[in-house]
Amino acid sequence: MALLQISEPGQSSAPHQRQLAAGIDLGTTNSLVASVRSGEARCLPDEQGRYLLPSIVHFGESGATVGYPAQSLQLGDPLNAISSVKRLMGRGVEDVGQLGNVLPYEFVTSEDSSVPRIRTRGGDFSAVEISSRILQVLAERARVALGGDLDGVVITVPAYFDDAQRQATRDAARLAGLNLFRLLNEPTAAAIAYGLEETDGGLIAVYDLGGGTFDISILRLHQGVFEVLATGGDSALGGDDMDHALGEWIIAQAGLETIDASLSRQILSAARRAKESLTSSDRAEIDFELGDGRWRGAIDRSQFEDLVRPLVKRTLSACRRALHDAGLERDAIGEVVMVGGSTRMPLVQQMVGEFFAREPMCDLDPDQVVALGAALQADVLAGNKPDSDMLLLDVLPLSLGIETMGGLAEKIIQRNTAIPVARAQEFTTFKDGQTAMSIHVVQGERELVSDCRSLARFELRGFPPMAAGAARIRVSYQVDADGLLSVKAEETNSGVAADIVVKPSYGLTDTEIETMLRAAMEHAREDIEQRMLKEQQVEARRVIEALDAALAQDGEALLDDAESRAILAHRDRLEGALDDADADRIKHLIEALEHASEDFVARRMDASVRRMLAGRQIDEVEI
Amino acid sequence: MQSPDFRQTYFELFGIPPVFDIDAEALQAAQRRLQANCHPDRFANASSREKRLSVQTAAWVNQAFDTLRDPVKRSRYLLELAGAELSDESATTSDGVFLMEQLELREALEACREADDGLARCAEIDSTLARRAQEFEQAFVAHFEAREFDAAATVSHKMQFIQRLQQQLDELRFELEDA
Repeated sequence: MALLQISEPGQSSAPHQRQLAAGIDLGTTNSLVASVRSGEARCLPDEQGRYLLPSIVHFGESGATVGYPAQSLQLGDPLNAISSVKRLMGRGVEDVGQLGNVLPYEFVTSEDSSVPRIRTRGGDFSAVEISSRILQVLAERARVALGGDLDGVVITVPAYFDDAQRQATRDAARLAGLNLFRLLNEPTAAAIAYGLEETDGGLIAVYDLGGGTFDISILRLHQGVFEVLATGGDSALGGDDMDHALGEWIIAQAGLETIDASLSRQILSAARRAKESLTSSDRAEIDFELGDGRWRGAIDRSQFEDLVRPLVKRTLSACRRALHDAGLERDAIGEVVMVGGSTRMPLVQQMVGEFFAREPMCDLDPDQVVALGAALQADVLAGNKPDSDMLLLDVLPLSLGIETMGGLAEKIIQRNTAIPVARAQEFTTFKDGQTAMSIHVVQGERELVSDCRSLARFELRGFPPMAAGAARIRVSYQVDADGLLSVKAEETNSGVAADIVVKPSYGLTDTEIETMLRAAMEHAREDIEQRMLKEQQVEARRVIEALDAALAQDGEALLDDAESRAILAHRDRLEGALDDADADRIKHLIEALEHASEDFVARRMDASVRRMLAGRQIDEVEI
Repeated sequence: MQSPDFRQTYFELFGIPPVFDIDAEALQAAQRRLQANCHPDRFANASSREKRLSVQTAAWVNQAFDTLRDPVKRSRYLLELAGAELSDESATTSDGVFLMEQLELREALEACREADDGLARCAEIDSTLARRAQEFEQAFVAHFEAREFDAAATVSHKMQFIQRLQQQLDELRFELEDA
């Protein structure tokens, strides 16, 4: 809970109502939602008892459908049934061009937005909007199952997602009207789902081969604290690629030359069916409609394994790299957790087992494991488990840099640095009398800016003209616990500064999101106002509750009479306004109270750090 | 506004003695303990003001951890705390013997790429680098304790050279293993 609510181990904080929280696995192929009830995480099924929601949205003339209904429309109407949209999250026009041969959709861009949109019969939609439709369906499922509006959610992302992709996911949550507690790395969620935090700890490798992405994470676990030591992977490698590899084999076998979108879908689903049946049998029949007749064939498991072995090898080379980044040898790994539908394949289990010389863990359903872990984390973040020691320390998945002379990328924060993190570096001008500098923020491991992902550009303007090399431009990067970046630039001689929260170059602007929100809710203005009022009331109660607990614990020690009177006056004014139907006023009073208790908060943080150091010395004495 | 005491040294923050040879486990344990209290996840329901403070504090603790964990950064930080001028790299680059050795190591590294027994050669270079790193670390401690800060700074630069070579070696190994 709040800083105001730092509680010592064994001391419970003020009792409060149980919060409704859910974990969402927003996947490339399928999505799931899970929640903790009676102490146990469970995936929530739809009305037909199905856990998976195919990540497919179909846009027709009469509106949008999501999941299985959209999937059944996909074969007949592939261009209006959008799948694998996760691959497009945070992606720009050029990236989409590269995916063009994989994704058959018609992309459009407009002048006033850098975000590519998919043209459908129901209109043009961005990946963020399409994802938010999926999130809405899952949230509704949870709302019905839990019997109330969600207080917050945890959404998982591949550990390898860059800033733009994380930001896009966050935008989708916002657009779906969800309060996002945190973005959680999928592999970390998996380790939580296996309850590994209950074990003695040790080093864990999480091997996550999903539909569209591969992630390897090396975690260390010690007394409930998960540390991500290193992450690696490939954001464009997964089960879909195996379908494509098999699809190409089928195309070659059938001697096909021209393939339209509908036939391509048919071949891919035939390939997927064959792949799935090869999990348990040695031979699979392949059968699909071709022209007026059907094409029939078959493939052996060993033939199929030859087709996909190079893909599995690519995953192992990423494993080697991650181990090295973590400074570990293979035999240091104590547990290997398998995640993602593709890990059902015997070849994958065998090759991973051989690589780590260890039997991989695959007891839980590899499709559900991430959502289950997210639900457990959501429950902790919602404050439902005040005694939980669980803490996740993450690292930055990809280096963050800045463009310097000659199109080179200079790294400011190295990948696999623990986050949150802040780093600053100084630059200077190269021309006499220069009064502005353009800052180009990039992410990636390559030397050339053109090989890295462009995250943002902005300008620092209006510093006084100086001789070349005399200006001192301090560029600071700060990354929060979700891995999201903000950048500040300052000319330190003159104090001229500029800053931005990085909206990725390919992201939606705040205005765009607002417009979408408005459009989506035009007919429900009253609902919005109601919701805003409710949100503010909840927030106000939270703040008051936190403050009361903090005052009870530390008020006397850290505040003098005048100070505590001033804080209490603000507190009472806020409490008095709770029943007014005026969201703005409540918001204003919350801000006033937070402002009034700033010093108190800071002193508590200070005292808490001190206490901890004091605690360490006691530990040492006891030893 | 008051905030955690950002003026204390990283060693004070982690409660370990300000020396080069640190207890890595104690550092690790203190890092976890500090993060357990200031990490933003502990403030998921807090006000934005508190969240910001928590991000800043956690970032500072991470920065401190990162500095102390890495031998090169740790050596530079110790020199900084001792008030020593960190000489530029000229002292190192005027050491002809050291430079020659670096050059030879670099050439040996390049040769691995073409060689049939590239990985075996890599392993040899690896052990040379490990030995040199250890020698330099011992030399650093000796100079630092004798308060010969200029000499210690020169050794610190040499440690950095070795570290860079080690990174290049590791990169090359990946290439060879993947090939």
